[in-house]
Order: sequence, then structure tokens, then C-alpha cells
Amino acid sequence: MFREHAASMQSRPSSEAEQLIVRLLKRTMPFQVISEGMLQSVAAVSRPFSYRAGEVIYRAGDKADDVYVVVSGAVDHLLSDTPTTVERNRVMHSGDVFGWAAVLGQDKRVRLATATCVETAEVIRINGAALIERLNDDPATAKVVMSRFATMITREFGAPAAAAQIVAPNRTVSDAPAAVPRPRGHATGLALTLYRISRWLRSPKPFLMLLGFALFLGFWYLSVQVWKLPRFREMPGLTTVFHEWFSKNPTYGLSFYTPEYYQDIWVSVRRVGIAFFLATALGVPLGLFLGWSRTFREYVFPVFEMLRPIPVLAWVPLAILMFSGSETPVIFLTFLASFFATALNTMLGVESIDESYTRAADCLGASKMQVFRHVIVPGAMPYIFTGLQISVGVAWFSLVAAEMVSGQFGLGYVINTSYTMVRYPTIGIGMITLGAVGYVTSALVRIVGDSMMQWRVRELALGGR
Amino acid sequence: MSSSRRSFFHRSTLRAFVSILVFVALWEVGARSKQWFGIAVPWVGNIPAPTAVLHVWMGLVRDPGYWQSWYLSLLRVLAGFLTAMVIGIPLGLLMAVSRNFNDTFFPTFEMLRPIPPLAWVPASIIFWPTQELSITFVTFLGAFFTVVINVLGGAESIDVRYFQAAQAMGASKWDTFRRIVLPATVPSIVVGSSVGMGITWNVVVAAEMISGGGSQAGGNGGGLGYFIWNSYVGGAYEQIVVGMISIGIAGYICSELLRMLGGYLTPWLRTR
Repeated sequence: MFREHAASMQSRPSSEAEQLIVRLLKRTMPFQVISEGMLQSVAAVSRPFSYRAGEVIYRAGDKADDVYVVVSGAVDHLLSDTPTTVERNRVMHSGDVFGWAAVLGQDKRVRLATATCVETAEVIRINGAALIERLNDDPATAKVVMSRFATMITREFGAPAAAAQIVAPNRTVSDAPAAVPRPRGHATGLALTLYRISRWLRSPKPFLMLLGFALFLGFWYLSVQVWKLPRFREMPGLTTVFHEWFSKNPTYGLSFYTPEYYQDIWVSVRRVGIAFFLATALGVPLGLFLGWSRTFREYVFPVFEMLRPIPVLAWVPLAILMFSGSETPVIFLTFLASFFATALNTMLGVESIDESYTRAADCLGASKMQVFRHVIVPGAMPYIFTGLQISVGVAWFSLVAAEMVSGQFGLGYVINTSYTMVRYPTIGIGMITLGAVGYVTSALVRIVGDSMMQWRVRELALGGR
Repeated sequence: MSSSRRSFFHRSTLRAFVSILVFVALWEVGARSKQWFGIAVPWVGNIPAPTAVLHVWMGLVRDPGYWQSWYLSLLRVLAGFLTAMVIGIPLGLLMAVSRNFNDTFFPTFEMLRPIPPLAWVPASIIFWPTQELSITFVTFLGAFFTVVINVLGGAESIDVRYFQAAQAMGASKWDTFRRIVLPATVPSIVVGSSVGMGITWNVVVAAEMISGGGSQAGGNGGGLGYFIWNSYVGGAYEQIVVGMISIGIAGYICSELLRMLGGYLTPWLRTR
């Protein structure tokens, strides 16, 4: 019976736009299982729409008539009635389906959520009633589609109670809405970022964050400068540090207005930069080969593992002996820490690749080089970037130690000499600056990693199907 | 299967042996003649040869001062590490359980985290009355941030459906914590503590070098980091390498013990 129906549908002439809609529907969670013919039938009752960023598509409580499928852009979906404090909003991208209240039981077709367009979005709207009518032409298919709707609502929106009200092919309904959606989806574009910021500002989070900062800084100020607690008395006080930091004529010679300050930052950043670059250039290929070739690993890895447990900082005197000058030992020590982290993570990345990928490539006649280029390298990429993030962290970690023990200029050197010369407020300046600069560099690596792995983000979002 | 595994094991052991032997031989040749097959390698030439190191080491084994260094470093590592666990694990769990607590203190925590532990050394020396306490404090900081972040990460990766299921079946807050949060975070506590242990050894060595050992007695009584630094200052270059290898061994033993303990605590992960 279904076959006949599909055949009769296929005979109907369909426009190119409808073909596109069919292809889109084929990628969505509820519709991907149904036949081409039925999809065309659904496409026939769907209408394309587009929304500008910021436009509200519908609000919670509105009458629900259409189901929406995102073609492009991003739409924020915020469930209104939530019993718990779990985050309730979710950003929808191409291939995501929302507005499913339109396929709930007849008297339940009221919007449970507010949908706002975040980025200029194209959607297609399918009338819920018409959709159910079309689907009911074939009860078997309708049952599958509705159960997939229910699964989607439970799994992706975390609203099992709403899923229970989905209209059954035999039209039975239940009640009581509840919703606990999980956040999913990834940021694309500035609009989305701005939108997230505005949402964050409306939550209690910023106030709690400020409260945390106030507690910390307040404790620092009070314990050192007001209460003068026994041990705290000796520490540089909050206002002393900041006064020194912003002073045009600093007592101890280091502030925002002195060129020495920027010179020290620059020297440290340069050392970390060189060491990080060398560690990446040598560590990534080494890690790839270690993971790729068993022979190579069996010969090289034991030495690697023998050297690795030695803390990088135990190398300090040896590094000073090995290399002349004060610059090379510091860079060498910083390099060493990064190098081990990068190489090890890259190797783990190669080992994490599903063996069936390499087997499949082998079966399809790929050469060793092709497997390396197209399977090993991209497959290890996520781990490599994790490794690079760790690597930046340990680079700063060992740089500070190396600069403190040997070396001239640099933030670690500033902190150490400030101690020996009894310039205590400068210690505070050095520490805060170090934290800030370290944070910025790791953030940079993360951003570069995220942008280089867009393919992976997309793959995860679309499920590749 | 078993025979092929054994032969594979044999081959890999053999190769490991060969590779380490080649490494040591290159080191020996480079250190003695300052060149590898005609290519000058001055930086290898500046370090003591492995045979000389071994010779010095054999002498040191009978020296109680050397073992005293081991003992002092180990004590500091354990003190800092255990404090980090005792404070870090409850703090991480508290952040994982309470959203308001997390929103209040996590940003401050994140603000302090990028400051490398060793940057705290001078401040710590000023603050704590004894050198011993200041070294232990810096050691504690090294492990503390890692432990907290790992506990939190472990709790955040718990599938929401577990909580939903527990709520649906009427679990109390305590039940949810005891039956879901706690078991789910044990593996990440194990991972966090083994990473923390590695950092702890790094920090203790540097702190001992920077602060000058902490022991008023001086000489060989200031921990392995101080042992290395003192050897460098005194020109006993072979001892530097002995110290490095000793720290490597000590760190390795600690991590292995921790891994065994972790395996014992997470029996459900053992088969994987």
C-alpha cells in the first residue's frame, strides 16, 4: 500500500526548490527514515521563510501551527517552563528541527518555547496539522516519524514530558509539560557571541562572579592593610600593589608607565614563543611517527620514556652547563617541557584513531603516504591541539622557574629580584602580569585550534549523515 | 595468541634495550670526545659522561646525606600533595554540586590559576614563617589547581540523563551526590592526582633550588633539588646528573604507586 502511495507521489511534478527541501529533510532527525515519495509530499506543504538577526520567530504561549527546519543561520530556542536550573536554551543550526509543539496533541498546540533568530536564518515552515494529515496517509511511516519526534524532543531538548504528548497516529494524548533541555551546538559568528553575552548578562552569573572577586580582593585588602593579621602584615597590600602599578613615578621602578615593564613582558613572551614554536615543529612530527610506525616507536619511545619522568626543572643546572649565555638555557628548558607534552599527546592522538579508518584506506589502495596525509594527520588533530594547550601552560610554568634561577629580564626574573631586593609590591605586579599574559597565550592557542577544527565541529553538529 | 604475544614482547624489550644502549653510548662518546663521528657537539661535551656519573653514584649510595635528600623531598611532595587532595577534592565537588557556589568562586579560581606555581615562591617565603612551610605551600599549589579542575571536569561530563532518571525516581540530593556525582568523579580524581603528582615533583625541585633547600644545616640536607643546585654551585657536575636521575626515579615510583591505587579504586575501568 505504501509503495503505491509513494509511486503516485513521485509522479507528481516537483520543482527544484522542493528537491532542495527533500534533501534537507533527509538530513533531519525525524524525517530521515521516510521514503522519497513521502518526503516530497511533506515538501509540498512546506514554505520557505527567512528571518533577520534578533527577530522573534515565536513566543512561548503562542498558538503552535508550524514545525520549523533550519536551512541556514542560527536560531536560539529557549524553553520557558523548566523545573530545574539546568540551562534551558539551545542554538539550532542547519538541519535542526524546532517548533515541534505543532505536532503535539490537538489541544496541546501551544508554544512551549521562545525562538529567536540569532543570525540571519532561512527556515522552512511545515504546517503541523497538514503534516500529520499527510503522514497519516501511511500509518506505518507516521508511527516511525512521530516516535522519532518524541526521541528528538527527549534527547536533544531534554523534554521527555513534552515528548509524551506527541500526537500518535491514532491521536491519543497525555499531559503535563516539563522541559530540561541540554545545551548543544557551537558558536558561529559575531551575532551569536553577542547574543550569548547579552544572555549571560541577564543571568545572575555576573553578580556572583563580582561577589567572588570582591570577597577575594576584600580579604586581601582587609587582612593585610586593615586588620594587619600576623603573617599577612608582611605581604604587599592590595592598594600598595595597584598604586605602584598605575603610578607614573613608581617607588620601585616598575609600573604601566615604565618601558622596563614592557621589556620584561616582551622578553618572556619571546622566549615562550621561540620554545613553543620549536616544540611544536619537532614534537608534532615525532609524535606522529611514534604513533604511526610501531618499529619507530619501539626504538625511540623507551629513551623518551626514560627522560620524561625527570622534572624539567631538574635540568636547570645541566642546561646552564650545556649552553653558553643566559638566553639559550632558558629557552631550552622552556622548550623541553613543551616538547614532551606535545609529542606525547600527538602520539596518543594517532593511537586514538579508529583502526578501521586505516584499514579502509588500505583496502581502497591508499599508499602509506596517503594514509599518513589523509588519515593519521587529521585524525590526530584534536589531540594535537589539546597537547598544544597543555604545552603552552607548561612552557610558562618552566619559563618562570628558569628565569628565576638563571637568566636576565623576563617576568620570572622580575619576581625573583623583587624578592631579593625587597621590592615586595613589584612581586604582586609580576604575578598578576604573568597570569594575564599566560591566560592570553593559552586563549590564543585555543582559538586557533577551534578555528582549524571547524570541520570537526560541523561534523559533530550535522552527525555526518 | 599467547606465543605471538610473547615473541612480540621479546622483540619490543630487545628494541628498548638497544635504543637505550645506543643513547647511552652516544652520550658517552659525545661527552668524552666532544664529537660524534667527526661532527662537533660541544653541548654534549659539556656534560659528564655516563660512566663517570655511575662511578660517583656508587660512592653516593653509601652517603647518608644523599638519602636524606631523598627523604626530605619525598616528605615535602607528600605533604603538599596530600594537602592539595584534602582541600582540592571537596572544593571541586562543592563547585560541581552547587551552581551558586561555582558561579561565585570559579571565576576567582580561574583568575588565579594561570599564575604559575613557582611565581608564588617569593610571596610564599615572605608569608610562611619557615622555609619548609613555604616550599610545601608552593608544592600544594602545584597540585591543587589540577585536582580541582579535574574533579570539576569529571562532574561536568556526567550524562544529564542520569540526573533526570534519579530525579524521576525520587532520589534525594544526597542520594544523587552519593550514587551519581561521587562515583562518576573518581576516575577524574585519579587522573587529576597523577597529573598533580608530576607537577608536584617539578615544583618541589624548583622551590628547593630557588629557596636554597630549606634546611638550615645546608650541605646535602636540603632535598634533591637543593642537592642538584648545590652540586652545580660546587662544581660536582656528575652529582647533578645523579640528582636528576634520582628525581626521575622518585617521581616515577610515586606515579606508579598512585596508578596502582587508582586502579584499585576504579575496578570498573580495569578491563578496558
